[in-house]
This record gives sequence, structure tokens and C-alpha cells, in this order.
Amino acid sequence: MVDQLPNLGREKEMLTAMGMSSMDDLFADIPESVRMNGELPLRGPQSEEEIIADARRILGANVALGDRVNFLGAGLNRNYVPASVFQLITRGEFLTSYTPYQPEVSQGMLQAMWEFQTLICELVGLEVSNLSVYDASTAAAEAITCSVRVHNRKASQKNTVYVSELTPPARVSVIHNYTQGGGITIKTLRHNSDGTLNLESLAEAAGSCGVYVEQPNPLGILDGGLTSVKEIIGENTAFIVGVSPVSLGLVEAPGNYGADIVVGEGQALGSPITYGGPLYGIFACSKPYLRQMPGRIVGRSIDVDGSEAFCLTLSTREQHIRRHRATSNICTNETLIALMGAMHMSLLGPEGLEKLAQRNMAACQLAKQKLSEIASLNIPHDANTHYNEFVLELPGSASECISYLDTQGVIGGFDLSNWYPENKNWLLVSFSDQTTSTDIDLLVAHLSVWTASMKGVAA
Amino acid sequence: MDRFNEGGGRLSHLFEHNGASGRGYSQPEPISPVENLQIPSSLVRAKLPRWPRISEPEMVRHYTWLSNRNFGIDTGFYPLGSCTMKHNPRVNEVIAQLPGIADLHPLQPEHQIQGTLAIFYEMQEMLGICAGMDAVTLQPVAGAQGEFTAIRCIQEYFRTRGELNRTKVIVPDSAHGTNPASASMAGFEIVEIPSQEDGRLDLDALRAVVGEDTAAMMITNPSTLGVFEPEIAEAAAIVHDAGGQMYYDGANFNAILGRTSPGIMGFDAVHYNLHKTFSQPHGGGGPGSGPIGVKSHLAEFLPGPVVDRREVASGDLLTAVNDEWWYHWLEPENSIGKVQQWHGNSGAVIRSWAFYRRYGKDLKTMSEHAVLNANYLRHMIIKEAEENGVSHVFCDGAPVDVVKHEFTLSLAPLKEQKGLGAMDVAKGLLDKGYMAPTVYFPLIVPECMMIEPTETESKEVLDEFAKRFIEVLQEDADVLHNAPVTTNVRRVDEVYAARNLTLSYPFDE
Repeated sequence: MVDQLPNLGREKEMLTAMGMSSMDDLFADIPESVRMNGELPLRGPQSEEEIIADARRILGANVALGDRVNFLGAGLNRNYVPASVFQLITRGEFLTSYTPYQPEVSQGMLQAMWEFQTLICELVGLEVSNLSVYDASTAAAEAITCSVRVHNRKASQKNTVYVSELTPPARVSVIHNYTQGGGITIKTLRHNSDGTLNLESLAEAAGSCGVYVEQPNPLGILDGGLTSVKEIIGENTAFIVGVSPVSLGLVEAPGNYGADIVVGEGQALGSPITYGGPLYGIFACSKPYLRQMPGRIVGRSIDVDGSEAFCLTLSTREQHIRRHRATSNICTNETLIALMGAMHMSLLGPEGLEKLAQRNMAACQLAKQKLSEIASLNIPHDANTHYNEFVLELPGSASECISYLDTQGVIGGFDLSNWYPENKNWLLVSFSDQTTSTDIDLLVAHLSVWTASMKGVAA
Repeated sequence: MDRFNEGGGRLSHLFEHNGASGRGYSQPEPISPVENLQIPSSLVRAKLPRWPRISEPEMVRHYTWLSNRNFGIDTGFYPLGSCTMKHNPRVNEVIAQLPGIADLHPLQPEHQIQGTLAIFYEMQEMLGICAGMDAVTLQPVAGAQGEFTAIRCIQEYFRTRGELNRTKVIVPDSAHGTNPASASMAGFEIVEIPSQEDGRLDLDALRAVVGEDTAAMMITNPSTLGVFEPEIAEAAAIVHDAGGQMYYDGANFNAILGRTSPGIMGFDAVHYNLHKTFSQPHGGGGPGSGPIGVKSHLAEFLPGPVVDRREVASGDLLTAVNDEWWYHWLEPENSIGKVQQWHGNSGAVIRSWAFYRRYGKDLKTMSEHAVLNANYLRHMIIKEAEENGVSHVFCDGAPVDVVKHEFTLSLAPLKEQKGLGAMDVAKGLLDKGYMAPTVYFPLIVPECMMIEPTETESKEVLDEFAKRFIEVLQEDADVLHNAPVTTNVRRVDEVYAARNLTLSYPFDE
């Protein structure tokens, strides 16, 4: 029996009050020809305790990252999130509220999101942030369509945006789905063999509507060359940078080296990975892009007494007002996850952010140093600086290596042939503030054994 | 502010916190020397962000204060039409925080995530059954994204068939704004058709616009007026006869589970709002989850991968959920690709799974009670209005005997008589302690108020709300123009916000 319905057993009383005699009367307006008769062919209801027991049993079959030593990242990061974030987020006033359409009774979430916007603006060095899109991939896609809306009129390469060839295929696929309807052509930017952006290739992008690159890039490289991008592409082409937000505790804010739009995966600030969702996409821009940006924005205002008050603003860009001429179809976003992000950012503070970035980078640095001592392993982009992940070139296939590590209780990283099919032997290994030197020693030990066995096979 | 729940002992702004000690929590030291971190000189961050320096006690108090200034379903009745603000069972939250959900990476191999895949499979099957659809993907992360995804599938379906002339999508003028926005983003031209006087779908208007250029019609049923479209099967036939596809906006799905289905009505594709029908908490605007279901002819175009299963083989058993099935990903043959980078909002899907398990086949009872409550509240408001002599200040948004999960009222007479609009009444309701219903939507009802009580409100709550609603209608114009007066701030000047854009904390002010 369902235990969530306060009026169960009172149906007759309520129906009688309305002059009706059965529940069927309430559905008399559904023509017979389209009625579903009988019961739904589904299982019976369960009690709360049965559900939780089933959840534990079924989900117990999963292997959690925390059950293993793990080096899987590829755009998502398992940073520690403080306990107070999880405690506060369960407050029903936040958890069970809707989009703040009535600002007088929604000041809490509105102010929290205005503060979130401020935290993001400060982080990325731009003037405007919305209060999140779905994830990094949709943020990148929305940034691209936004750049076309802003620049197409003056562009010599109409409806054209350049995207780094390193961009993960799933992200490219999202970009394709979001841009194909607008007739936008996506061209690719080439990279040098050391993994940095090819600036000659970039020159071809001048006159287009936008350029999308990532910092660090998908190979984990911090590319110093990106500071000259804006100068090369010029004022009339949007410079869109995808960031790993924690890295900005050490790395210059893209807004300070010419970025017009900064997007990225917010997850590392505030949220567990949660199997890839819910996450939150960061979307920040400079003022010229404001009126073409997607999503909701909170503005500071006053109430009739002149007291400070907050409300949603610039809604005329949005679907519920502008309908098919809206800047995006986005309605529901990721506010609650963004709120977790704001809480985590607050607790970190500027120095805490710097330290978190250092811990990520120091783990990566230590691993790079120790793994470079295994003779049969190559680090193809060794000369570059890596933030918290890098590519290991193996003496055999990455997928076989991952399978071997799995038998040893290690989640070994990501097989990059899934992104770059020509690189069968590239393993992307990722580190976080949770990586210990013991973890790294374990990886080194297992890879030593595995590479030795590969030599044996080769011999 | 001198209200008890505003709390003393705090600062008003996060950014006023600038404690010398600096950090909300202490972190262990980096595991290798920081001096060795070589960042390219052009990329060294010159100045750290002006984030607050706040301790944990101050931070907890700040956000608790903010939460006290926010109204959720837990706070009180939230009859926000079209948003299905039902109770969010708390066990769902407990389950969502299990490490077997929160601490998983979407790139883990299948044998490490059999539990998640089993739940995904169960959800795909359940959603398919409820909507009468043959295949389901859980990837879209919001209702609007579900709409967009389904329209993309329909677009690829026609491209595959060489029907490139199908460039138009038809939407009624009562449709949610996301419908035309989603179709437009996919590259379609929008054809809006007017509703009949009573708000229902106008078949003649539909016949007048369908043709060889029609790709799809997008419609929600019950409509945004809360009224079931009796001629929906005829509408589907008209669109299908012209070679188009029928798309069901699942925003109002809470009204019909077990009583009818989009499949029976003749739809080819549907999105579900797990954050409406299946109680994923709205969280102040998200996250949501917007799976879509399609009939078999569209299944090959779904975004990939989806979950399939086969019988367990020897060797699988160690990490299988049970000794029957092995779950695996399957890429649809002509998939449109991805709409989110990973596998959608897994956390929302698993909360919704827990919700589904609570009801099982009694999801039908859930919908019945949603409809019972909406009709009962509508009845009580009309009755109270008659007894108090205020029937003349509003009229039904749609003159029908029964509504489904929500109903609309037009306050146009009140506007005419007293100069009070739907927004004034909404603000008056805030002073009674309620969240206001949706106002000014759908656009076709003048001075519209759209009320959706959901199934999780008791009869007493509905009785009381009806009384208070009538009291608000009886208020003096001055009182309502001046409302709200009991809220944390009084009426907010939205024009001021747009004219004096302050989109972040003004550090230099």
C-alpha cells in the first residue's frame, strides 16, 4: 500500500462533495478509444525499508571509486567535498523549491545564486556568469551558438566556429547536436606533436565567429600559447576557453588573457562525480555577450521599501518569454549542484583554492616523475606542464593494461583510443587531492610488472 | 532585518567575510614539493579570486540564514501550475548518497557498474510501459533537453528517409515555451496554431497548416489549461496522414498514468520530467532529468548508449546483480550521438527509481489522486466564491466539467473591476503563507492563474487554501497593491534590476 497520499481512504468524501461517485468520473473526459484499462503491468509498491534494502543490494554490485586505487578522471575530478556542503544541501527550503519566480519568498536561493555568479566571475576573470547550464559539454555547445549570434553579422567566415581537434568525441557530438540546426560549420584546430595548439592553424580561424579550446587541454597540458590566441583571432571572433575550475587556483584566469566566454565542468567544486550527472556547467562571459547568453541570471535590485533584494533578470532572452526566438531552450538547469559549488568555493577561500590546485598538481607531478623512471614507459608530452593528468605511452595496448590493473584492484585510467583511435597505447592517468604517494607507488609497481610482462611477450 | 528566523550573529553578504585565518577547512599538505610545480610563466595567476575567507561556523550560519529566506514544498503548499511540486520522499535522498551512486565514474567498465545498469534498465522498461513507448533513453538531463533530443531523432528519421522537405514543427499557442525553443534550436521553422475559444486544440486550424512540410506536432495532453484534449486521436491521425510525427510534451504526465498513455493516443515520441512526475527534487531550478521514449521506428536514432541485457554467462557472475541478467550498453544503430557528455543525470534517475518502487503499479493511484485534488480544489474555490459573493471577479480558464492535474482561472474580471491583476493576487497569497500559483501562463488566458495542488496535499490543506484564496480576492485593492508585507523583502522591483544591472557583488562599491 502506498504511504505517500494523504487523501487515501477519503476519496468518497471528496468525490461526494463534488457530486461525483467514483474516481472514473474524474476521467470521464478521456474518450473510451484512448483509455488504458486495468492495472499498469508493473510490480507492486514497496515500503521504504524494502526499497532501501533493494537499493543496497543492487547498488552493492557497483564498484565505487573509493573501493579501489583509481586514476580515472578525463574531465571529472574526485576532489574532497567538505561535510557541511552535504549537510546544508539537504535543507528542504533549498532542496524542494522551484525556480524563484516569486522573489519575495525566494531571496535565499536568489542571493545564493547571485553569490555563485560572483564566485565564478572572480574565478574566471569575466564580468558575467549565469547560474549554470547542464554540464561542460552543453556549456561549450551553448558558447558556440552564442558566439555565432554575436559575431555572425561581421564575420567573413559566416556561421563558422573552430574547435580544438583534441576535444573529446562525446563533447564534439553534443556540440554537433546543438549547432547543426543553426547551420553552423565546425572546423578543427590542429595541434603540434607536443600537444600544444598549433598557432598557424589558429590563424585560419580569424574572421570566424569563435574558437573553442581547453585549458588544461584534454591531454592535461597547460598550454602557455593560449595567451596569444585573442591577438591572433582578433576582436570579432569569440575566444571560448573550457576550464578545469580548480586549476585556476594556480593558472591565470582566462578572462585575463583575452577569453570572451569561459565554460567548464563545475563538478570538481562541490559535487561527487555521481556517474557523470548531475553536474553543473559553468558559463561566464564578458559584457558584449550578455544579451545573447543562455540560461538564468540573478540581478540585485530593491524592494518597494528600498531594501536590497534579488530577482531573476534579463528574462527576455529566455524560452518562456521569447519562445522560438530564445537564446536557448534551457529552462531547468543545475541550480542545486551550483549551490553545492558555491558552498565549497566559500569554504576554500582564495588560499584554499590555491592549495587545492597545488595538491592536484603536486600529485600529478610526483606520478610523472616516478613513472618516467620506468624505462619502457614514455610520456609523450613530457616537456609540457601538466595540471592533474597526463598521457602515458605504453609498450602495449591501453585497454589490455587497464584490464591487467583491474585484476590488481586498480582502476588504471582511461584508454585514449576511445578518443583518438590512432593512439592504441595511450593511457590517460589522472590524479586529485585524494591521490596518495602510496597510490602512486602502487601504480608504478603494477606498471613495472605489466611492462616487464610485455617485454616477455615481445621477446 | 528584525525577524526571528532571520537570525542574529551574521553578516549580510558572503563577501563581507574576510577573516585573517582564511580557510573554511584545513587541507593536508601537497604530496610533493610545491616549489617543483612549474607553470608556464605566461599562465601564472597574478591575483587570486576575491573569494570570501569564511570559517565553517560562519558559512553554515550564512547558508542556513539563506535557506530560512527560501520557500520550498517542505515549507508550505506550493500550487505552482505546470511544475508538479509534490513531496520529495527523503529515502530517495538517502539512497542517492550511497557510494554505489555518488562515487562512480561514467568511464568505469560495465562489470563495475552492474547495479547502476540494472536500475537504468528497470527505469527504461517502466517508463516505456507507462507511456506506451517501445524504447527509452535516460540521457537527456532536463525536460527541454528531452524535447530537443526527441525532435533531433525525428529530424534524423526524416533525413534517413530522404524527406528533407519536412522543415516545420507545429505547436499550439498554449504550448510551453520550451517546445518552440527546442524545435527552433534543432533547425525547424515553428508554426503556431491558435486554440479554440475554450482553450482546446482546434482541428481545423491544424488541418489548415499540416502538409508535406510538416515534420512534427508538439503538444501536451492534458493541455496547459489542465484540460484533456478529447480529439487527440483525430489530431494524431491528421498529422500522421500528412506524414508527420507526433511529439508528447510530458510536463503534464502526472495526470494520466495508468488511465491513458501517449502511445495509446497516437504519439511517436515523448519526454518525461523525472523532476515532476517522479519527484526528483527541483532544487531551486534543477537538476532535473528528461528521459525520452519513442516508438520502434525512432529507436535507432536515440542518443547512445542505452542499456540492454542478456542472460548471465559463466564468468560474469562475480559482479552481476543477480544470477539471471548481465546488463550492458548498446549504441543505437543510427544514433544522433550525445546530448550530454556522459549518461545523463544518474543521480536523478536513481531517486526516481526509488520513487517508482514506492508506488509500483499504484502509480495509477498517484495520478488519480493528483486529479482528485485538482478537481476538489477547483470545486472548493468556486463554492467558497459563491458563498462569499465573489464569483464575479474570476472565471474558469476553461469551461469544462472535470480538469486533470491542474486548472486555470482568469482574473480578468478582477482586473477590470478593481484594477488588480493576477500578480497582485499572487502576492496576496504570499502573505497568507502560500507559494503563489503560476501566473500569466498559458498566454491564451488573460490574467491567468494556474493551480496544481499535486497528490501529496491533504484535504484540509485544500479546504484551507480555498478559503484563504477567497479572502485574498476580497481584499481592498490597496492591500493587494501593497502586498506582500509579511515576506523577507517586499515587492521586488524587477525593472530596476534590469535597468541597473548588478550581476555580481560590487567589491568597489
